[in-house]
Amino acid sequence: MNVSGRPRPASDETPPGWTTNPSSWSQRLPIVALALAGVAIATYLALYQLGLIATLWEPFFGAGSRIILESSVSRVLPVPDAALGALGYLADAITGVVGGRARWRTMPWIVVLFGVAVGPLGAISVLLVILQPVLFDAWCTLCLASAVISVAMIGPALDEVLASLQHLRREHDAGGAVWRAFWGLGEDRPADAREPARRRHVG
Amino acid sequence: MLAQLACVLVGLWLMAAPAILGYGDPARASDRVVGPLVAAVACIATWAVVRDLRRVNLLAAAWLLLAPWVLGYGLAPAINSIVAGVLLAALASRGGHVTQRFGGGWRALWPRRPERAR
Repeated sequence: MNVSGRPRPASDETPPGWTTNPSSWSQRLPIVALALAGVAIATYLALYQLGLIATLWEPFFGAGSRIILESSVSRVLPVPDAALGALGYLADAITGVVGGRARWRTMPWIVVLFGVAVGPLGAISVLLVILQPVLFDAWCTLCLASAVISVAMIGPALDEVLASLQHLRREHDAGGAVWRAFWGLGEDRPADAREPARRRHVG
Repeated sequence: MLAQLACVLVGLWLMAAPAILGYGDPARASDRVVGPLVAAVACIATWAVVRDLRRVNLLAAAWLLLAPWVLGYGLAPAINSIVAGVLLAALASRGGHVTQRFGGGWRALWPRRPERAR
């Protein structure tokens, strides 16, 4: 039953006007797997920076990894930078896995949090890749691998963020409460019944 | 998508070129800054939903073409910079064929203003 006359999405989970569902598991699980690989690499690097591992795997750049991981930049903060990276990847993995196949609509807050976790982590990674050779004339293989992972996650994560933001835009244009939609509230009513009721409230 | 992946290779080449071709600053510093940025932007723009981000690499290409004169490069890094700049400009201007639809994309997020509609 399509009272509003708008075209219905191919399935309930695919956003209107989209060919694929960005919240499907086939789209999200690869990102989560990348994030977990990032957690593993960053944890390994952090253990070295904390002195819990004596030697470091570095196949290409000789002393490069040690120079980078013991550099002044890596000690700017009270905790080693790799430990923060590990936490960032963990946040990516958790916000990537929470929620079902319709979470772009039912849980926009977690999708936005996911985007906020993935974006800045990638930006900081690129900055660190620039600083390695420019400040210290050294490269660190696992740091580069970690940066590749964090940048590779950004593109596939953003489509879901777009779907959520478009959902909030539609809710706003239909006179709905964006704040409630952001937290996924009011989803129990059928989509077709929602719109006329809302028009009455706002006018 | 292939054009963007090729842009990633241009960025990676810029990171490695100072060591492989054996040139020093200022070309080395510039390429080591621009290289990772180009590779990262192209990597993100590989995904159709953010393909328009590739235009940022047109700015990088413009810098690669200007830098030999602005910073005063030697011959080898100057040729390298110009070739990389031309390649990057050609590749980053290719949007490619996008078959997926994204509900109007990022533009759909802004309110429609009839008087300014295109």
